[in-house]
Amino acid sequence: MSNLMTQDLYLSAFTARQAFLPGQDQAWLKDLRLKALEHFKQAGFPTDKLESWKYTNLANNLLKMSLSFELPKVTPSAVTAQLKKRGFEVEKAHVMVFVNGAYSAELSSLKTLPKGVVIQNLASALAHETVKTYLGQVASAQKKAFTALNMAYFTDGLFLNLAAGQLLEWPIHVVYLSANASQTTQSHLRNLIVLGNDSRAQVIEHYWGENVSAYLTNAVTEVVLSQGSVLDHTKIGQEDLKGFHVGSIEAKQNEASQFISRTFSVGGALTRNEIDTTLAQKKAESVMDGLYLSKGQQHVDTRTFIDHLSPNCNSHETFKGVLDGESTAIFDGFILVRENAQKTDARQSNKNLQLSNTAKVYSKPQLQIYADDVKCSHGSATGQMDEEALFYFQSRGISRADAKKALVYAFAGEMVERVPSEYLKPALTKFVQDWMGGAS
Amino acid sequence: MLVIKGLKAKVEDKQILNGIDLEIRSGEVHAIMGPNGSGKSTLAHVLSGRPGYEITGGEVTLDGKDLLSLSPEDRARAGVFLAFQYPVEIPGVNNTYFLKAALNAVRKSKGEEELDAMDFLELVKAKLKPLKMDEAMLQRAVNEGFSGGEKKKNEILQMAVLEPKLGILDETDSGLDIDALKVVADGVNALRSKNRSFLVVTHYQRLLDYIVPDQVHVLAKGKIIKTGGKELALELEEKGYGWLTGEKEEAKR
Ligand SMILES: Nc1ncnc2c1ncn2[C@@H]1O[C@H](COP(=O)(O)OP(=O)(O)O)[C@@H](O)[C@H]1O
Ligand SMILES: [Mg+2]
Repeated sequence: MSNLMTQDLYLSAFTARQAFLPGQDQAWLKDLRLKALEHFKQAGFPTDKLESWKYTNLANNLLKMSLSFELPKVTPSAVTAQLKKRGFEVEKAHVMVFVNGAYSAELSSLKTLPKGVVIQNLASALAHETVKTYLGQVASAQKKAFTALNMAYFTDGLFLNLAAGQLLEWPIHVVYLSANASQTTQSHLRNLIVLGNDSRAQVIEHYWGENVSAYLTNAVTEVVLSQGSVLDHTKIGQEDLKGFHVGSIEAKQNEASQFISRTFSVGGALTRNEIDTTLAQKKAESVMDGLYLSKGQQHVDTRTFIDHLSPNCNSHETFKGVLDGESTAIFDGFILVRENAQKTDARQSNKNLQLSNTAKVYSKPQLQIYADDVKCSHGSATGQMDEEALFYFQSRGISRADAKKALVYAFAGEMVERVPSEYLKPALTKFVQDWMGGAS
Repeated sequence: MLVIKGLKAKVEDKQILNGIDLEIRSGEVHAIMGPNGSGKSTLAHVLSGRPGYEITGGEVTLDGKDLLSLSPEDRARAGVFLAFQYPVEIPGVNNTYFLKAALNAVRKSKGEEELDAMDFLELVKAKLKPLKMDEAMLQRAVNEGFSGGEKKKNEILQMAVLEPKLGILDETDSGLDIDALKVVADGVNALRSKNRSFLVVTHYQRLLDYIVPDQVHVLAKGKIIKTGGKELALELEEKGYGWLTGEKEEAKR
């Protein structure tokens, strides 16, 4: 089936939308947006004919919806309370809140920042030299249709810039709240993180929906890590079941930089998480952890790409999934070790626990190696609940339901246990436990 | 206490128990012996409610209460405890957590107050000592990486914590050296009381030197073919099972 109709709509909408997008006074940005739109025109929406979209077909769901770019302006009052309820000690974080794609200064609380630290909403930072230099450079509109669409239409997001040597003490917790009430909408969020030499930051991207009709969140995060810098990045997906989430995080890592990326995904009717990193210079390290939990009719698709370009780099990737009901999970992890990337240490693992036999898992680890002196491993396993273990619990008086919860937690909790952040740990523990509480 | 009448069971269309009659009174220890494959483990599993078995006849009551209609957890709460022949390893589940969850589930079912972490730890530490178990075992994942002996001790520890009415020991002696065997047997003997009964399943007589039974039953092809006192075990040790089953003894494993 062709989706030209929908694509046309997205193209023609631009004329009307353009004037409302931030950066009207920035010629370079207007140019970027137009070029991105052109790329989107060439590419069109991804179809299941593309290998990387084989199991995620948008034609019958997302592309059938009419989603307005115009988003209602609402100010939900209880964001802080919500965060506390979810287990975050918000007093110990810089909190930034975006509601329906727009920054809310009232709901945000940025603590006093030292010189050399810029935490700002991107829309207000478009004149910043760093933004001009890097926006669209790492997450290029040429590679992915949704990224192109995002460049054309983005409204706002996080801009983080650390000068050399800045060690940010508190995490930056960014909330992207969808609350479109009775309208069906789409929002395109863009984050730019640029860390100077030997600087360090912790960022949390947190998506959720409340009081919503169908919506699309299309989020792009660009990360530039200079020599010796460290970014600890966690994406928490708690979109509403009426929500579609397409997100792409792309990082470029210079010498001896560290990119720690965690993805905890539980919400959404359909979620597509893409994480790409390029280990562009020697001794760079990347840790990619992830946990997806799905049930009912949910569809969660994870696609990662680790590009080993330079020697002596490490990448450790661990994704786990728990699937109940008739949900579908896809893990497609690609590691490319190029010719020059000698002494690469690359490890990848994907493990899935199927709680029902109607849940589907497609796991596709891929490793391509063109260097000869490397250590690489990958593995993938999908299993069911261990009946022997369940009976062992029961034979000791523990109910089958509680036994299941304990076993799911034993499996999934590993991804939480290895999070060092005191800020995240209680919330992520709750994240997993709450999901089990609602599971059958 | 435990009354088994005409119990028949099959697994995957294979008839394994062919009508078992057995009565164990309060405070008694009964041993079930028999060649490999005679159905000893099957009997232990059927009593504890393990899935996969089809009961094709007979009944089982514990203190007059029908056991066979209960879920495994309800049987455990009613006082049935099975010490597994092959205790299950559960990576990611802490041994203390497991023991505490079990004890509190049983207590709750009896309308007793659940124990908090402090009280529980005190209780479990007291039970560890006679079993010569290291406290560090409590912090490990359930049975994961435990040696054969450690696993069997852990089973007895669970039994000591849960204080069941009926303890079923399935080949608890297998894989134990003589020192560990004594420790385990002492652990079981310490739990013997006039309100608690045991069904001790074993292939060898050795264990029964330490846990002295009131009665010994010989199981062959899913039926009890002989019942006697503790001296029957010695006789079996000497002569093998062949003289009872009328078959040539299989190689002992
Ligand atoms: N799950 C099963 N499927 C098929 N046969 C089984 C199963 N479990 C036990 N059996 C068979 O039942 C018989 C009795 O086994 P078991 O009770 O384990 O004997 P024992 O404990 O006396 O050695 C054996 O012939 C065994 O092969
Ligand atoms: Mg056996």
